[in-house]
Amino acid sequence: MKRFGALLGKETQAVFSSPIAYAVIAVFLVLLGYSFTSILFLNKIGTLQHIFFQMAALLLLLLPVVTMRLLAEERKTGTLELLLTSPVLEIEVVLAKFVASMAVVVVMLGLSLAYPTVLAIYGTPDWGPIYAGYLGLLLFAGALVALGLTASSLTANQVVAAVVSLGIFFLLWMIDSLGYLLPDPFDTLSVNLSLLAHVSPFVLGSVFLSDVGFFVSVILLGLLFSVRALARR
Amino acid sequence: MTPIIVAERLTKSYGPRIAVDSVSLEVETGEVMGLLGPNGSGKTTILRILTGYLRASSGTARIAGLDIARDALAVKQRVGYVPENAPLYDGMRVREFLAFMARIKGLAGPAVPPAVEAACARLALEPVVDRQVGTLSKGFRQRVAIAQALLGSPAVLILDEPGNGLDPKQIIEMRGLIRSLAGSLTILVTSHILAEMERMADRVAILLQGRLLAVRVLRSAGAAVRLRLRVRGDEALVRACLGRVPGVHAVALAAPAHSGVAAYRVEVDGPSVAEPIAVRLVQGGFGLLSLDEDPVDLEALFLELTGGAAAAPSPEMA
Repeated sequence: MKRFGALLGKETQAVFSSPIAYAVIAVFLVLLGYSFTSILFLNKIGTLQHIFFQMAALLLLLLPVVTMRLLAEERKTGTLELLLTSPVLEIEVVLAKFVASMAVVVVMLGLSLAYPTVLAIYGTPDWGPIYAGYLGLLLFAGALVALGLTASSLTANQVVAAVVSLGIFFLLWMIDSLGYLLPDPFDTLSVNLSLLAHVSPFVLGSVFLSDVGFFVSVILLGLLFSVRALARR
Repeated sequence: MTPIIVAERLTKSYGPRIAVDSVSLEVETGEVMGLLGPNGSGKTTILRILTGYLRASSGTARIAGLDIARDALAVKQRVGYVPENAPLYDGMRVREFLAFMARIKGLAGPAVPPAVEAACARLALEPVVDRQVGTLSKGFRQRVAIAQALLGSPAVLILDEPGNGLDPKQIIEMRGLIRSLAGSLTILVTSHILAEMERMADRVAILLQGRLLAVRVLRSAGAAVRLRLRVRGDEALVRACLGRVPGVHAVALAAPAHSGVAAYRVEVDGPSVAEPIAVRLVQGGFGLLSLDEDPVDLEALFLELTGGAAAAPSPEMA
């Protein structure tokens, strides 16, 4: 636990001492602020449904920038050798990087709480879908970070890690559309693998255990693959 | 003495390419063992296996009696490692980096600052302790890398090409540092530079294309050494004078007389015989121009072992 604490401290500092995190947070909030304002003026309804979908899309586009450096940079600079020849476990290294990246997500989502706050001041929003939406986005972002971490664990090139992450995210985002073309049972499978299909119920205010289970499974698989990639030396 | 590092038939292959081919090696407690060989001879791979960064394809290794595969964490606790080119976290300050390394090596909170201070003092890092690692010179980077390796009081220090990229002054300092650590620590060091290895190591293992060719003693307390002298005077009289000094076994002419000065190679019991030799020569009225330990000629040894077919490691001087 002591070692994990040290690793987490170092990773969190690395994430927040880099301009990347601030650029990502700034772009996320600026684009979201623009959408929130225009949607609110257009339909004048106290809901964040559209915003949540947009937040999911922005996370999908921006998180590869956060995750690309996690292990690829360590591999490129040689510090991975320093780290893995110290008395630490691969799982501790991977978990520290995952939690530190999730801290960026938490800051992004935390700052976006300004929008429900505005709705609460000027109207009476339905809080159920808002809580569900944030829970869904947190799980969704966790899955993206875990998959991005896996991509970063496989290469020493950060750009390759980012492009591969983006490819995986997009594929999993819209894989359900492939379901219409596939025979049974592959159609069901492709729908069940879709990130969009699992995040939509949260955004619409419904929390299903199956959706929570899906995201938790993706997170665990991503972390497992990352640990395996580090251990295979 | 007991061996602290024991490697048995270590092999590492990448597909059809064999990087390390059945290398067996023992390193005694407290000695400086050098791994010498040209680039690509498997030195770094052996170090990476011993430090747990790579897994051997076959063979076993034990450090302080612990198997490097089964007791990986315990082994890592006992080994300080300085990888080639000293990879460090450039964004951290020196003190912060060392504190981080101390914590992941298992030092408890209150023990970290004194351990960091001690490592900084040992490596003379005080002037740069609050500077960012990325702004340091190569010499200081290497010191920081050694400082982190010494945290947690390891029994074994493993250094991969510690002289790489350093200027001659920094190489001399590095060599002095490694020799000063010898005895309290067991040191395993690689180099592809013959002169560097001659000055640093007690024993040297010579590698070529992943195979261990030989292990040779370079210096050992109490063991016979060779001295090289330049003396002005009649050759026969000088030989006779040297022959009468207790502890001298053999005297050979290394270079014939030129302007009355000849070079001699003298086999003696140990380095302490140098002083009576100097006294006897001066008392005998001869001109003693120089007296040094004559290191093992690694270049000749390497060529002899490889039959002169392989490219010798670089003989460049520090």
